[in-house]
Amino acid sequence: MTLLAVFGLFVFLMASVWAAAAFDMACRGWVSGLGARSADRPLRVAAMWLTQQRLTTEAPDRMNGLLSIAGYLALAMVGLAMVPLGPDMALIALPTSVVLWGACEALVVVVVFLHGWSQNAPLAMIGAYRYVAIGLPIMLLSMFVLIAAALPAGSLDLRDIVTSQRDLWNAIRQPLGLPLFLLLGLSLTLRGPFNYADSVDLAGGTSVESSGPDRLAWQVARLAMLTGFSAVAATVFLGGYLGPVLPSPLWLALKTVMIMALVIGLSHMAARTPVARMMGLIWMILLPLSFADLIWAGLVAF
Amino acid sequence: MKDIIFYVLSALAIWGGWRVFRADSMIRATFALMMSFIAVGGIAMLMSADYIGIATVFMMAVEMMVMGLFMVMFMMNPAGLNPMQMVHQYRFSLGAGIAAFSGLTAAILATPLPDNPLPPGGDTLRDLGFELLGNSMLIFETAGVTLLATMVGAVVLSSGSGRFGSAGDGSLPPGLTAGGRPAGRLVDAVKGQEDTPGNGMTMEKKPAVRADDHHGTGH
Repeated sequence: MTLLAVFGLFVFLMASVWAAAAFDMACRGWVSGLGARSADRPLRVAAMWLTQQRLTTEAPDRMNGLLSIAGYLALAMVGLAMVPLGPDMALIALPTSVVLWGACEALVVVVVFLHGWSQNAPLAMIGAYRYVAIGLPIMLLSMFVLIAAALPAGSLDLRDIVTSQRDLWNAIRQPLGLPLFLLLGLSLTLRGPFNYADSVDLAGGTSVESSGPDRLAWQVARLAMLTGFSAVAATVFLGGYLGPVLPSPLWLALKTVMIMALVIGLSHMAARTPVARMMGLIWMILLPLSFADLIWAGLVAF
Repeated sequence: MKDIIFYVLSALAIWGGWRVFRADSMIRATFALMMSFIAVGGIAMLMSADYIGIATVFMMAVEMMVMGLFMVMFMMNPAGLNPMQMVHQYRFSLGAGIAAFSGLTAAILATPLPDNPLPPGGDTLRDLGFELLGNSMLIFETAGVTLLATMVGAVVLSSGSGRFGSAGDGSLPPGLTAGGRPAGRLVDAVKGQEDTPGNGMTMEKKPAVRADDHHGTGH
């Protein structure tokens, strides 16, 4: 049963990475007016990167560079593995799985920073520093939102959080929770308005110097993190595997894909502000909103 | 099985701690320390202290990230991966290291360590919660509020002014000579007056901003 779950999750991860890449390209074509791209384009780009020569800077920190890519992918997989697939069925079954997800979020900031740092190039390093400045405060926001979501369940276990949504999804019970959590998703996956690490204005930021298989692995890890994040978001706010008629893992997959599409759409529709302005936005507007979410959740649960 | 994991994690913790002093880069040293702490967090999880173990991981991830950033910020050679000598004061540190090691070892050997296994199925999370908000509430709340005040104080101290003056007013680099005019290309902010290279000495008392901050002022 566990082996089956591991296999199923792996297949879902691969399929969703491809689908997310294709949808992302389609969105970019649509927004920029370049027109549609064929669905096999992600595979072509992947093949191109795989066969491309690996170029490096003069003295990169090779160990930390590889560790950052592997770590990013591993964190995404941990996120996916802690999500319950059915009643009492989760690969990582911990009474504190929400806290574990918080640890994953914190470590994402570390690995993205290391990815930029290890290239030994100015633009990559600027991307890394910028990302830390925004990545840390936006993470605080998610802590409050997640605690609020854990309140009605009275437990830090994702399995209990799903069960507590049997009557009403957290997305409806705590209307501020999901929108704020989606912003964190944009930050965790280096997308759109929160893409301070790998953005175009830095010619690719932390990825500016990576090429060949390294580049492919980093992009796959980014998309895998999108899947992991979306699965957690679907579980915490949209009732996870709960749903009528269809088998429970299918419901989870459907909701996960929906959140993924939402995050990708958001990343193409919202503009990126300068770091200083985003900093003000986070500390003065978004963080108080997350306090409001927590208070609201407390009052409702009471 | 648990024993094997314990020894692996312990070895990782010790190896990480050793690498902190062998690494030649601030960032490598920082994250070696983080790895050491993460291994300790794993050991805490082995001892059924789930929450404390995972909390150690995320606290250390954030803390080490911030610490690494600050260390690089305050270094003379902030950027890049150029190797640097990270150890100094050999004699003093040797003595301090031996003293600390023997002291801690003696303390561990002399302390009667508790030996009370948890009853199976105990809810450690609940116990921890009641401890934090029960008997130990005063200590933790005092520590929490003190830390918060420290953080707010640090933000207030650091945000009021930039390195070359008030952060809100644009920035002025220091002069090349003591009390001299600010270094760099300047334009006069006062309307109608232009900064001519000839009368640079009269510039000292006028408000001046860098050319790249205010394009076209004074024209």
